[in-house]
Amino acid sequence: MIVDFADRVVIPTYALLDDRAAALHAAAMTLRAAPSPARLRAAQDAWVATRVPWEQSEGFLFGPVSAQGFDPAMDSWPVDRTDLEAVLASSDALTATYIRNLPETQKGFHAIEYLLFGEARDRDADDLDARELAYLTGLTLELTAVTAALEASWTTGAPPYRDVFTTAGAAGNTAYPSLDAAAQEILVGMSGICDEVANGKIADPYDAHDPNLVESQYSYNSRLDFADNLRSVENAYTGDVPAAGTTGRGLDEVVRAVDPALDTRLRAELADAIAKIQAIPDPFRDAITTPAAYPAIEAAQAAIRTVQTTIDGDLAEAVR
Amino acid sequence: MTTRRVALALAALAACADDPATAPAGGDTTVLDRTSNAYSRPAPNLRADDLARHLAGDVAFEATFVRGPAPVNAGLGPLYNHNACAACHGKDGRGLPQFGGAASQALVRVSLPDGTPELPGAPIPVPGLGGQLQDHAVFGIPAEVGVALAWTETTGSYADGTAYALRAPALTLTYPDGRALEPTIMRSLRQAPAVFGAGLLEAIPDATLEAAADPDDRDGDGISGRPNRVWDVDAGAVRIGRFGHKAGNPSLVQQTAAAYANDMGVTSRRFGGEVEVDDARVEATAFYTATLGVPARAPGDVADGEARFAEFGCAACHTPTQRSGPHPIAALADQQFQPYTDLLLHDLGLDLADGRPEFRADGREWRTPPLWGLGLVATVLPGASYLHDGRARTVAEAILWHGGEAEAARERFRTAPADQRAALLRFLSAL
Repeated sequence: MIVDFADRVVIPTYALLDDRAAALHAAAMTLRAAPSPARLRAAQDAWVATRVPWEQSEGFLFGPVSAQGFDPAMDSWPVDRTDLEAVLASSDALTATYIRNLPETQKGFHAIEYLLFGEARDRDADDLDARELAYLTGLTLELTAVTAALEASWTTGAPPYRDVFTTAGAAGNTAYPSLDAAAQEILVGMSGICDEVANGKIADPYDAHDPNLVESQYSYNSRLDFADNLRSVENAYTGDVPAAGTTGRGLDEVVRAVDPALDTRLRAELADAIAKIQAIPDPFRDAITTPAAYPAIEAAQAAIRTVQTTIDGDLAEAVR
Repeated sequence: MTTRRVALALAALAACADDPATAPAGGDTTVLDRTSNAYSRPAPNLRADDLARHLAGDVAFEATFVRGPAPVNAGLGPLYNHNACAACHGKDGRGLPQFGGAASQALVRVSLPDGTPELPGAPIPVPGLGGQLQDHAVFGIPAEVGVALAWTETTGSYADGTAYALRAPALTLTYPDGRALEPTIMRSLRQAPAVFGAGLLEAIPDATLEAAADPDDRDGDGISGRPNRVWDVDAGAVRIGRFGHKAGNPSLVQQTAAAYANDMGVTSRRFGGEVEVDDARVEATAFYTATLGVPARAPGDVADGEARFAEFGCAACHTPTQRSGPHPIAALADQQFQPYTDLLLHDLGLDLADGRPEFRADGREWRTPPLWGLGLVATVLPGASYLHDGRARTVAEAILWHGGEAEAARERFRTAPADQRAALLRFLSAL
């Protein structure tokens, strides 16, 4: 189960992220070569597609993704618009090295998002000048470097983190001295992302009614981000990654053996949470200041918290 | 029947309260988590209103700063080391000893041998550089210096002939115009420490630290710890220092405000004058670190290694058990816990010396770091290393670097049979 979690969930998700980042870079290069509404739309779609495996990886934010800074390198928020505009206004050569050395807040998903979508999903293809397009392709290229390094950290690092995780319980494994420690890591990741979505990603902007705090606000992609975070939980539980076409042995097998009703219930709760997230009126950044949308937002939070309660309680008990 | 079970449970607690092996590592703040999230749990005994403050502080600790003007988190720089507390204290743990771009998680403090400090007794700032090198800057402004870190290896051997290698840092510090930093400037490489459990350390009464001090080694045990005495900007007076690798700050609030100003270039009322973060946000961040729980020790019998810890003399400075006094945060008051520190300054020898004094701490002294959570370091931060500058790649290397007052303890470890050394390391990995 631990082996499948690494080989059938984590690594395929990171591999898919790397593939889609490469496709995003290709779409950005195509856009830069000859901007058109269709090419802008294709690049926007490629950005949304790249978000899917990233958000589906946030249920297992342990190991190199945090330690090596891959997470902030890809997903820093807010974007430093002041310095991003200063770079664009300068005559600095936008070489790969130059882009690499920029602070995380001027690159990664959300800087790319800002360039592709504008402030409120209102970008026109002819808005983007040559320098913005050069900056865009520099950012997408740098993103592919990060996604490749992230995947490599699990497959070919020194040691590959896959080996650290899958040898849980072996003599000399100081990170995971027991199989239970590795199982707990999976559970904590599943629970943690539920907490983050319900009580951070949704609650922080909703409680403050402040659109500036909303994740993926330029693209209006917030709901899909949240839903894919819940799918990350589902993938960790089932051992399958439908988006990557992989299947494996998951916690669900353990649960079905001891408490089949719990398996049925958790799957239903996950489906309900995803449905409730998708029922929030779009875009999320407007919903948080629209009283008619508040019940839907709170219903989504409640459904996600229900999943978390099940993970922390009955699922943790069943796995133990 | 129910009553009887409760009574038995209480009796069991009373029996183990003085035994670090069975007492909870953080008293009532102890959390049962041995995953990568272990340092990031709120103390379970927080009142509801304090938990709400903790969660608000969590947002502040995670917040990424940007250059102003900006709708949220404006104020970064113009000079800085990184852009978020969590960028160097990832998962509330330590940082990696590395520099360059967004990967930087360490810093270099600087000062001069003579001159006028900004705060009474503080290190003498370097004109144009201050007390800390910022190797990052906002667009259009050169960073103060470029920092390059290399390692030089040496070898040694245990008494039984088993060889080991140690590495020492070699810093190259360069101004933007290519000149090397003047050799007269004293420098001290520091990696970010973990932040959980800090509230309990703050709540240890001054009298406890004074009582443990033995500056002239009157008891003749070779250990002469003493508290640092530093400037408290809120009190406008000298207080015992507790936080930082040389205990240069007296309180979590001051430590936090200084980190905002020096590490992120985000100024506040206490440091820097202009209010880029208000007191409420600084205090929320400090509250967050104060109220993070302490992970429980790993299950399993490590009594043999724990006995070696005492026998070798480690416990002379890494005091196993401390007790807190009153504290404004109710969850932290009157707790008995196992931090494995005396919070005092000790001479660790020339090999570990930075040669840079900080208030009363001289160039060979360091504050005993707590050892709780030590066994989770590799889980929380793969690739992490140990000691103030991250030179030790393993706990064994960290022990082998100890000198000065700790030389005798180190030699007992170095000359011990392999099974005893392994037992000690097993004990430490259970913390």
